[in-house]
Amino acid sequence: MIDNHKEEIKKICDIMGEDFDNPACQEVLEHLKQCPTCKVYYDTTKKTVLLCRENDCPEKLPDDVNNRLLKVLNLDKNFKESQKENRPS
Amino acid sequence: MQRAKEGDKVALSQLVNTYSERIYNLALRILRNHEDAEDVLQETFLTVVEKLHTFDGRSGFFTWIYRIATNASLMRLRKKKVIFHKLNDETDFQESIESRVFIDWSQDPSLNIYDKEVKQKIDQAINSLSDIYRSVFILRDIEGLSIKETSEILNITQENVKIRLRRARQFLRDFLSEYFQERMHTKND
Repeated sequence: MIDNHKEEIKKICDIMGEDFDNPACQEVLEHLKQCPTCKVYYDTTKKTVLLCRENDCPEKLPDDVNNRLLKVLNLDKNFKESQKENRPS
Repeated sequence: MQRAKEGDKVALSQLVNTYSERIYNLALRILRNHEDAEDVLQETFLTVVEKLHTFDGRSGFFTWIYRIATNASLMRLRKKKVIFHKLNDETDFQESIESRVFIDWSQDPSLNIYDKEVKQKIDQAINSLSDIYRSVFILRDIEGLSIKETSEILNITQENVKIRLRRARQFLRDFLSEYFQERMHTKND
């Protein structure tokens, strides 16, 4: 049964994350309305990406990591000055 | 940028200030280890300082620094010689979806990242992705970069980005499906 859906599934993956307005996406989205198997594939793949995104929490750069970086680059004395220049007057 | 290229330390500090957190997080996403991410952060900026005079502006600075950081992360990942699940560009995509039964677990409201076990499974799934697939997935799906930007950073064609992304998503979906389907059955029993 899955055999019949292989090409559509390839297309589904290609359009995910793309602009849904473009004609190729529209064609696939139309297909999903009529094909429960491909719809399940689409929904579960989309949910997978969403869960991975939600699970990802960007971290603030720890001060000690930043300090060691500046030291390695020999920029520790210039950093405060650069922050002053960045500040709007 | 010109001042930084000429070795102006204040200008270099501004570059560090602007990009260090993003680079640290990129390395952390690929390597999933804080110490390694710090090493990559230092390595990246040492390379930037050393090679900034060669930066010709053909690609944006963001693409250039991301390329350096991604390469440094991937080199480190390869050195670790972790055994990943095998996914091969040459393997026929169609073979990998043979005889799959698609059960819809996407609407299960209990599946969220506040569940410790779900979180662990997601980490495990991403950790099992090999370097070439992990980098595409992170740049495109987690960092939200375009296919064009991803291809420029990884120095591969846009078609290759699409192929690797498809296989990465497929692998992650299958990995999580197994667990989520079992979880649905257990709940319904």
